[in-house]
Amino acid sequence: MKRLQLQRWSSSVLAPRARTVNRLHQHIYGQRYQSTVSPVQARDDQTAAIFEDSTTQDEQLAQIVKDSHTRRSHLQYPSPPVEAAQQSAKLAALHARLYLPSRLPVQTLARALVDQTADPNPNFNNASLATLGHDLLSYYATEHLICTYPRLPLTVIFAAMYAYAGPKTLAAMAREWGVEMATLPGGEVDPGLLQFRRVEPGSEVETGSSRSARPYEHNKLWRKTVTSKVFYDDEFGDPLKGPGMSAGGVTTEQASAEFVRAVMGAIYLHAGRAAAKRFFEQHFLSRHLNISELFNFRAPARDLTRLCARESFERPVAKVISETGRHSRHPVFVVGIFSGQDKLGEGAGASLIEARERAAVAALKGWYLYSPLNVRVPSSMEEPSALPWKPVHVDLGEVIV
Amino acid sequence: MPLRGIRTTTAARNGAGAFILQCKRLDFHYCNSSGSSRGMVAFLQKTLPTFARENPQIEIRVSPRPQKHPLIKGLYINGREKPVCVRNLEPHDILKKAILLKEASGEKLKRTKKPVTSLNESVRGIWSPYHGDLRGV
Repeated sequence: MKRLQLQRWSSSVLAPRARTVNRLHQHIYGQRYQSTVSPVQARDDQTAAIFEDSTTQDEQLAQIVKDSHTRRSHLQYPSPPVEAAQQSAKLAALHARLYLPSRLPVQTLARALVDQTADPNPNFNNASLATLGHDLLSYYATEHLICTYPRLPLTVIFAAMYAYAGPKTLAAMAREWGVEMATLPGGEVDPGLLQFRRVEPGSEVETGSSRSARPYEHNKLWRKTVTSKVFYDDEFGDPLKGPGMSAGGVTTEQASAEFVRAVMGAIYLHAGRAAAKRFFEQHFLSRHLNISELFNFRAPARDLTRLCARESFERPVAKVISETGRHSRHPVFVVGIFSGQDKLGEGAGASLIEARERAAVAALKGWYLYSPLNVRVPSSMEEPSALPWKPVHVDLGEVIV
Repeated sequence: MPLRGIRTTTAARNGAGAFILQCKRLDFHYCNSSGSSRGMVAFLQKTLPTFARENPQIEIRVSPRPQKHPLIKGLYINGREKPVCVRNLEPHDILKKAILLKEASGEKLKRTKKPVTSLNESVRGIWSPYHGDLRGV
């Protein structure tokens, strides 16, 4: 397609924005299906009165001209007014695209798109919704992980939590939902766009002062145990951050993540617990994650020995199952790790040590990735006519070395 | 620390849980004066309101493009766009083109060689030469 040539734009560019909403369009579809431009308020009656009246006052005319465009009057607000949400085609399309429940009004969805940095007023930004959504996401993801994989080590649970509900994933989801971003926030912006104030390029990214309740926080060299992270840190094992917004800006990733959390919170508020859980299952749990790829072992053979000692299995012994080309350039050894008569794991490698490490990793993963059948999560008790709760099996977790 | 977790993100599987329609916007361009837009203008007046009502996920924009052939342009979530020229087409043909744009994923067209593509590992595993019965050569 040939691009529009600029010199031909002259009339359409210079004319007031009212021209972009054309008459035919308005006539056929009414206001609802209009483009992203906010509709122009009809002030014909007043304008006509002024032109009939010979004593036209300049101020009055100026006022009319000023009000002739609603976008101008929206400029006084930091975020789009509530009534603009009904007019936005983008917002309605986003609502329909996510199959949000009809009980969730578009006005709330519009509020979920306004970041704290765009509108500091807590009644009009998504901070409160995002807080609620964040808690719900963490709760549902944690209970799913702990009940489905009761033996996962804590570090892997942290990594899996990050994969399911971390800011990177949430930002990717917002992108995959087709959420577009406004360049700058403002009252005249289409409410269907994600509005936030960006971090100025080149500005120092403040990590935010740590508001951890951990004692001896100032001793940076002291070792922080994994278990202490459960108490003192957030759900990903990161230290809790205070409000560290430098010069009132956020990154695109942070703003998108806040939006997704806010949508979750809004669904919970308007459509209830069941709808929120269904939304979580459909949009978050349905995503692909291979948990066995989240392990990073340092000394698997040692871990396996400690694990066997803890579980009072027989001491693990590595045995060569088969080998080929020991004296060649590419030898392959297949090594199995046995505890008594039971083979715990098996691995192939180019050296005996490598094969043994792989066998130990396979054995450890076989233990840690145990998943019972027909698991029920605690939140399933919230369903009506739920069966009585039977405690789920949650294991001790990783071995302490 | 004996064991660490590796941070990754989950991968989207559109349709495995929720389904997100990949077409996010359709732009309809027409010309009031030229004859090649006659079908398009009729489409805009008669068919488009129903189409828009049936597909609320898609933002629809209509705008004139004087002295040019009529055009439907689809914008997709992956950032690509797909323009289709609909000059001299009848309204029902234009509707077909609109449905084609609606159902497209926005990706470049490519030949699908395998019947199934999956992120999951094969259930049967990968054949290994070091297992099973050892046979003499």
